[in-house]
Amino acid sequence: MAESEIADVAVGIDLGTSNSCVSFARGSEIEVLSNAYGENTTASVVNLGADGSITVGNAAKANIIHDPTNTIYSAKRLIGRYFFSEEVKKARAICSYEIIEGESHSVRIKVREENFSLPEVGAMVLRELKSIAEAKLGQQVDKAVITVPAYFNDNQRQATRDAGRIAGLEVLRILNEPTAAALAYGFGRNLQQKVAVYDLGGGTFDISVLEIGNDVFEVLSSSGDTFLGGDDFDDRVIDLLADEFQASQNINLRNDPYALEKLKVAAEDCKKAFSVEDEAEIRIPDVITAPDGTSHSIERRIDKTEFWSLVQDLVMRTLKVCDEALQAANVVARDLDGVILVGGPTRLPAIREAVAEYFQQEPRDGVDPDEVVAKGAAIHAASFVEEDTDAYLLDVTPLSLQVGVAGGLCEPIIERNTPVPIEQSRSFTTARDGQKLVKIKVYQGESREASDNALLGQFEFSGFEPAKRGQVAIDVAFQINTDGIVNVMASDRATGQQASTSITLSSGLSQTELERIEQRGVTERVRTETAPAEAAAAAVGTPASPAEPAVPLADEPELPKMPPAAAAEPAPTPAPDLAQDELEIDEEDLIDGATPSLEEDLAEPIAAVASAEVDALEAEEDDAIVPMVEELDASTPPPGDDEPDSLFGDGSADLTEEDPEVVLQPTLDAVSTEEVNTRPEVEIDLDLECETRVEAAQTHPTFGGAASDELGGEDSEIVDLVGGVDVVRLEPEEGQADGDGEPELDLGSIEELDDSAILLDDAPTDDSEPDPDTH
Amino acid sequence: MRSNATQTSEISALARILDELDYYELLQVERGAEVSAIKRAYHQSSRSFHPDVNRHLKGDVGEAARRIAMRISEAYSVLRDPRRRRAYDQRLDAGREVRIQLAEARSEAGREAVQQRAGRTPQGRQFFKLAEAALARQDLVSAANNLQTALTFEPDNQSFQQMLGEVRAKLR
Repeated sequence: MAESEIADVAVGIDLGTSNSCVSFARGSEIEVLSNAYGENTTASVVNLGADGSITVGNAAKANIIHDPTNTIYSAKRLIGRYFFSEEVKKARAICSYEIIEGESHSVRIKVREENFSLPEVGAMVLRELKSIAEAKLGQQVDKAVITVPAYFNDNQRQATRDAGRIAGLEVLRILNEPTAAALAYGFGRNLQQKVAVYDLGGGTFDISVLEIGNDVFEVLSSSGDTFLGGDDFDDRVIDLLADEFQASQNINLRNDPYALEKLKVAAEDCKKAFSVEDEAEIRIPDVITAPDGTSHSIERRIDKTEFWSLVQDLVMRTLKVCDEALQAANVVARDLDGVILVGGPTRLPAIREAVAEYFQQEPRDGVDPDEVVAKGAAIHAASFVEEDTDAYLLDVTPLSLQVGVAGGLCEPIIERNTPVPIEQSRSFTTARDGQKLVKIKVYQGESREASDNALLGQFEFSGFEPAKRGQVAIDVAFQINTDGIVNVMASDRATGQQASTSITLSSGLSQTELERIEQRGVTERVRTETAPAEAAAAAVGTPASPAEPAVPLADEPELPKMPPAAAAEPAPTPAPDLAQDELEIDEEDLIDGATPSLEEDLAEPIAAVASAEVDALEAEEDDAIVPMVEELDASTPPPGDDEPDSLFGDGSADLTEEDPEVVLQPTLDAVSTEEVNTRPEVEIDLDLECETRVEAAQTHPTFGGAASDELGGEDSEIVDLVGGVDVVRLEPEEGQADGDGEPELDLGSIEELDDSAILLDDAPTDDSEPDPDTH
Repeated sequence: MRSNATQTSEISALARILDELDYYELLQVERGAEVSAIKRAYHQSSRSFHPDVNRHLKGDVGEAARRIAMRISEAYSVLRDPRRRRAYDQRLDAGREVRIQLAEARSEAGREAVQQRAGRTPQGRQFFKLAEAALARQDLVSAANNLQTALTFEPDNQSFQQMLGEVRAKLR
């Protein structure tokens, strides 16, 4: 299809945890674009060479065994996550590459002394796919629809979008994988069907129920688990082998990156074998050399029954999620006209059988589980550049959008499975006279407990005229667009003016960071197509014989040679020498969200003053205190007593829209300090790391004093500025009660909390007296 | 895709009156429409107003198109959900605003359920509580009496009626 001139091409990309796929559609023709080795999927694995070059795909994957510390795989499991999240902790324990903390609690991968953000790693894979498409189509490709698991939250979607941008792609749409699969399945077939898409990928599980009516694809419900995928099946086999080896040889293979990678490859092969066989033979010659010099091997036979016993609970977990999705869609299994399987692991007969039994029907044949998502994305991408829009995708948000309220709880704004795009508004007011700032924490998830949900960010609104408490009305609009990306905007009801908004806490890249990364241009280093012949040979015969070292490359993987590109660069992401020691922190520190994100800040001379204090406090204190100090020091005239907001005013001029992260950090901490100092009894909603910080501060007598010293006696101002952390819901408790009458937030707590924002409800708050006798 | 001129003027016109249209008018369905009709109307509206259709529109018209698309989702979310729809219908009947926030509709529906269960009037609630307390200490006679009294304030409260029936059944 390269022969004809196409002015504008847009491809569909399935950026998978383990494998990725790129596809192109024109009219009714849909083609999967194969890579230089003729493979339709490309491993989402990135290897950094000693010379600074980057290899992506199966050639990189072949390197895992030889060069584990410089080979990044399954990065999708980390994208858009905070460093303190469970998934990142887990990955740090099992991944052979180094995972460290970046600014604002983000995650960085450190390879050969270079730090990469997750969007950059994603961009390397995307860059490879872009090149594959360009080679195949014979022209430049700069537009794409990229798919994500339906259950991805806003952070993960944003990060994926950023990855596309870094790779030099205009991301036309972030599309949900199951929706893409359904589109590929039903496009142009004039179907009237209800279908379920069971999508078990390398790292995530999604289930979506859709109703297809000719050209309309309406998602009725979506559910999922972003902590569950084919990788987990491999891990079960790895655990079995490692445990047995430990028992028989008293050597823990998990401690040796090389041995671990060998186990990983063997486990994956074992899993794949069960797609066609009833039994798998695992042979890992020379898995490790013991301290006494003897070489050990593993030979193990696993039959279908044993494998099933290893993974049965994982499969059952997916079916439980299916229950949820069916219930939300208000359908039962027999209402479904089809079940579509997506993702490599669904090739496993054990899964097919379990799914068939659950849905009481055989899954649809003729759908390639590895390619169907990319094909759907390609169909959708084509509609962006072709004249006719042939299909309408009516998708939903899979996760409830909530705001933090008093007592560490959440209040839903947009429930899950609400169609997108959608906008909902809420009004907030001040809790205190003269308050100049209103803060709102936004979460995604289904729990009433804030800490159980994913924190998207903390938004702060300022720029309104200060007034008596409760007199200010700030209308906040929460939007979710068709990409599933959340947007929060505020306006002052009195003036109708857009309030200035900043995001204080975000796992994503700031605008400036993104630009810096783009300039850094790591994806330029991705070596495409012209992969070395030996790597090609290794890749063609994929991991069929993992035990045989096919690629005699990288015998000295530890080579500390600095890649030229990085050396030449004026350290865009400074390798945090200072913070290096702190990177080796234990789990408790992680919960504290304490140390490591200092790297950037500490590199700044301005912050150096504060660093001593911070070092002293770091065990208990959150690092966000640093930006605060930095911010104060940076603004030449210290904020005067009468204008506590000047500090934000100063910052917001250049920071508000463009670089939202910097502005807000300060208040976050100032609040907690003050709250703790003045009213230690009060329960404050500081989720996750913040919570621990408060506790720590309570037991740490010097903390408050030190902080206010740093602030130059600004503490009282800070209180005003910040007020508190939570949004207090002001509404008769009945109104909050759900049909099932679960106990609701006690109104009494409002009196105790002089918080920065109060959620105003449109419902009258006075006529129905709050029942004094709540259970 | 339809011609841009028609589309643009239609979008602008609709955006101007968007805040005056109730959800039924927006989706162009009858007040008593079945859920299936509402779904059809949602699909039909999406053919004209889904962001994918109008993604090429920039500036004010683009913004107008996005507002319409979001409002259509909102209308559908309320009208397809019986509980939300009931709360919304009551609001329309009372001549209140034509929009309802989704969570609000849910909580209004929830409030209705709570009121049904615990009483709408202060007296009804008071005696219902006394009845509950009596039940808690196994005093069925007192519970029945209090429920009876509660029902004099809210004779049509089915929840009270049902509970009274159960208490009396136990008394026998």
